Amino acid sequence: MSGNAVIRTENLRKSFGNTAVLNGVNLEIQEGQIVGLLGSNGSGKTTLLKCLLGLLRTDSGIAQLLGEPSWDLTAAAKENLGYVPQEVVLMPWMTVGDTASYTGAFYEHWQPKRVERLLTQGGIDSKKSVGELSVGQRQKLASILAMGHDPRLLILDEPVASLDPVARRQFLQELIDLAQDEQHTVLFSTHITSDVERVASHVAILVDGQVEYFGELDELKDRIKRVRLTLRNSSPESLRCPEAIRSVVDGNHWLLSIDQTRVDIQTLSERYDADVRVEDLNLEEIFIELCGQEAVASVSHEEPEASLT
Amino acid sequence: MQISPTRFAVHPSSGVPIYRQLIEQVLALIVSGQVKPGDMLPSVREMGSALGVNMMTVSKAYARLEADGVVERARGRGMLIAEQTPQGSVASRLAEFQPVLEQAVIRGRQLGLSDRQIKEMLQELLKAN
Repeated sequence: MSGNAVIRTENLRKSFGNTAVLNGVNLEIQEGQIVGLLGSNGSGKTTLLKCLLGLLRTDSGIAQLLGEPSWDLTAAAKENLGYVPQEVVLMPWMTVGDTASYTGAFYEHWQPKRVERLLTQGGIDSKKSVGELSVGQRQKLASILAMGHDPRLLILDEPVASLDPVARRQFLQELIDLAQDEQHTVLFSTHITSDVERVASHVAILVDGQVEYFGELDELKDRIKRVRLTLRNSSPESLRCPEAIRSVVDGNHWLLSIDQTRVDIQTLSERYDADVRVEDLNLEEIFIELCGQEAVASVSHEEPEASLT
Repeated sequence: MQISPTRFAVHPSSGVPIYRQLIEQVLALIVSGQVKPGDMLPSVREMGSALGVNMMTVSKAYARLEADGVVERARGRGMLIAEQTPQGSVASRLAEFQPVLEQAVIRGRQLGLSDRQIKEMLQELLKAN
């Protein structure tokens, strides 16, 4: 498996003071994957990205990028790396065109034509100074600059947060085009689950500083289901499904969220003599099921056990 | 005929994975006679680009369709719609069909239609299609 791992972490830990942010992250991302990194606020997404990039030193565990330790990346590795931080820092007094050539000067394989095309496509005037651009335009510019040297690995921290829907779609399209030769890898953090659903091949869900799920997006959707059981006979007290992600009983209706690899729906329906309705969940709903357990538990008096790994 | 990617529409935020949406839509086009054996599906690139979805998702849908014998890979040209032969045993196909019909019957009852009226409509539909 680790043959073409572009990103690899093993039991990665990071604390700030007494606050543990990453509690043993295990992640292995292969070449050609487009990975959406999801997590609630403060779940450690940015910290994880920064540890991967060697911008933060990890407390313990392994963090590797392009086969090299993150903290000691060589110039060759950096040449193959593109990164857009959450808060973009550019020189406000420089023009867009000058900013592009300035950035390009750091890279051996800079592609000025490509950058020019992306700028035109994105409606950014090269003659304008960076300070005149809106927040969204600056974010767009930073993303274009990060792609200017055709990096093998692109890491983006909430790249589309301040883009309008059209710009967001354009940007995602660019990611798809970039990754379509299956030699480029993209890791992007976001809150917008529909963007992940559109472009990502894989999804990593970070909960409490650990990777709760990593795998194919399609597989996740095929696995996590909401099941509604309507009981024909048995009394509700006997209902038990400790493997369920969530379980709510209301009279003879039983609402369950389950991982199909852990709970067999057919068995459940036979054991309790119930009519079953299975519902597909979209990523947002799955995310809430996996991350919103505490909030849901306080309402439902149930003990939500079971985690996915 | 070259099938245009505009014939397809995916909803990324549906609970149904995109690859399965594509599979369903290809099957629907075939069943409704809108595409014929020998027609060519858009290339993976074309389809991914037009729909704005990951190419791997499109590849996956095509691979499943190929494994099920719905499409054939034509060397250097792309994916062709194959001659359709029913897959699986009669029993398994009936099992797949049952819930669809069940839904229709329930709806008919909700609308207060008699058994005879439901049967007559079914017969008419069978004749018409």
